[in-house]
Amino acid sequence: MPSISTKGHRYHRKNIAVLLAIALSLVAGVASAQGKPDPRALLKQVDNLSDFTGRDFSAVFTIVTQKPGEKDSVTQARVFRRDQKKQFLILILLPEVNKGQGYLREDDNVWFYDPTSRKFSHSSVKENLQNTKAKNSDFTLSSFAEDYTVTSMTEGMVGKFPVWVLDLKANTNEVAYDRVVLYIRKDPTMLLKREDYSVNGRLMRTTAYPKYVELEGKLLPSQILILDEINKGEKSQITMAEQSVTPLPDKVFTKAFLEQVSR
Amino acid sequence: MNTVLPRIAARNLLRQKKRTILLAGAIAFGIMIVTLINGFAGSFIQNVSENFAYLLGGHVFVSGSEYTASGRRISVIRDDSVIMQALSSSGQRWASLQKTSETTATLIFEGKSIRQNLTGIDLAHSTMLKERLALINGSWDNLAWPNAIIVSQSVAKKLNVLPGDTIVAQFQTVTGQNNVGEFRLAAVTVDSTSFIGSIMTYVQLDYLNSLIGLGKGEYMSLGIMLDKLDRSEAFATSLYTSMKGMGLKLFDRSTRESDGSMTPFQAMIQKQNSETWTGTKYRVYTVDDVLAQAKQIVVALDTGSVAILIVLFAIVMIGISNSFRMAMYERIREIGTMRAVGVQRGEIRSMFLYEALFLALAGAVVGIILALIVMAILSLITFDPQSPVFLILKRGHLSFYLPPLRALGNIAIIAVLTLVAVYAPANAAAKMPPAEALRTVK
Repeated sequence: MPSISTKGHRYHRKNIAVLLAIALSLVAGVASAQGKPDPRALLKQVDNLSDFTGRDFSAVFTIVTQKPGEKDSVTQARVFRRDQKKQFLILILLPEVNKGQGYLREDDNVWFYDPTSRKFSHSSVKENLQNTKAKNSDFTLSSFAEDYTVTSMTEGMVGKFPVWVLDLKANTNEVAYDRVVLYIRKDPTMLLKREDYSVNGRLMRTTAYPKYVELEGKLLPSQILILDEINKGEKSQITMAEQSVTPLPDKVFTKAFLEQVSR
Repeated sequence: MNTVLPRIAARNLLRQKKRTILLAGAIAFGIMIVTLINGFAGSFIQNVSENFAYLLGGHVFVSGSEYTASGRRISVIRDDSVIMQALSSSGQRWASLQKTSETTATLIFEGKSIRQNLTGIDLAHSTMLKERLALINGSWDNLAWPNAIIVSQSVAKKLNVLPGDTIVAQFQTVTGQNNVGEFRLAAVTVDSTSFIGSIMTYVQLDYLNSLIGLGKGEYMSLGIMLDKLDRSEAFATSLYTSMKGMGLKLFDRSTRESDGSMTPFQAMIQKQNSETWTGTKYRVYTVDDVLAQAKQIVVALDTGSVAILIVLFAIVMIGISNSFRMAMYERIREIGTMRAVGVQRGEIRSMFLYEALFLALAGAVVGIILALIVMAILSLITFDPQSPVFLILKRGHLSFYLPPLRALGNIAIIAVLTLVAVYAPANAAAKMPPAEALRTVK
């Protein structure tokens, strides 16, 4: 019998070891799951940072664009947004020669207004704003969670900040960039860097968000640096000022208003 | 035929050389201005249409349009087999076919960039390119490169590129996504010999398609080059009927704006913007549909030239009428003598009218010759290929076309107006009693 008893003890010890291993792995798994957020939820958090649904938003953006061999150009625009109705109005204030030009978004249509010809022409959120590296879409709320699927999520560092690196693939062939890589600071959640890739996988644009301001409980980038990765040396720096969530009259988001303020 | 009266009339004109030269000079100046306007208007539409035909790659065009799953409309012809059948069965002749895709791109080379419209065509097999473009650098053989690009002299200068260099291009796909391509510079075209060369950038159709999201064998527009521009409308009508007969969906060609505020092409596009359909729907249009407003300019020029003709000659005719009245008084004793020796009233009248006719013909002929000389001098001027007037030029120069019938018509108008102006003094001379004429002392 002792031999049986010894064998029984051996089986018992083995079972305990297996159970312990399972328990430890479960604990580790749970711990890991608690530390790694759901990528989609993280994307929605990033989208929410720029979402002013239910409120109006306005600010003045100054864009300094540098191109090799050319003098720095300064573009200034006042942006009015009503996210609930997917509306925006961008009114160019500088340079003087383009003063009065504007972009008006109504649903998915973007109109460009030229006060010289007094005509509206069709534009797009994917177009660059004037002669800068910024696109019209850079002044609207982002929709990463809707437009992209996360293909990978890793940890990394941007400067001294630990970040989640989300590699995104476009859900349709109609968003501006087919692949986007986001560098999202872990705590608090805020976008620190973004890389935009072409359809054939070439890095086209890197955007850094070094400064944020708080507005009505939301963190907004007050400084944005856009680097053109195709035409090296070309870059734009955007700074935001006079940000406000004061309600705007409905007429602001009309062609008539754009024509009136452009005079 | 009695040649005495015309001879006397001619001699009378030569007797008063100064007066004759001034009167004929006034007529010549008027007809020169009118002929220049007519000549410019005559070639204006021809030049604009031909320039646009080569710019767009055809005289007649077929383009396809379809909706993506998200409701975005894109321009594409995916399968052209039925269009080719329709072309064959239309019974019409054409000089060449050109399949094209297009996008607007930023060309970048070593920190320098320029916005250009890229036209994708089958470079190696395009006869149009070799006919219309002159190369300053590179070789036609390089067009076999799969990512070949042809740029104009001014673009090459701006980017500082040489054949063999790789130019990066940034653009959007047909669905609006950003993409990047690398093109190898195959050739540089001479700006000064061709308007087309100065503004167009050509790339390989297949390579461009792969970058903008179109498949192999697909393209945006089929350009049909004809042997003559004036066959465009008949060809388009015939092709439209043939395509409709083959069951293809087509946009209505009869769309027109009655107020003339839009070209037929613009009116067609505007109407299409309010339509929805499934599959591919085609539009057939001509270079004239795109340029209908240019034709209005020609009508305005022609109307203006007629108005100028009338105003100028109203002034000239008053001068001629007064001069002939003076001539009649100067020759009053001569008229009396002629009447006394048996010359009839009608012959006196005819003599004055012959004088007027010779004066008008001489002035008109000199005016037309002067106009031709001015036209020749103006056509020697080479215009800057980047200037906005380049579209109305022929290979960088002003060109004129004076329809012979219009020139003859102008001469006839001048002759009739001069005869009308001189009829009253001629009649007065004819009706003058011989005895009274002989008694008159100047």
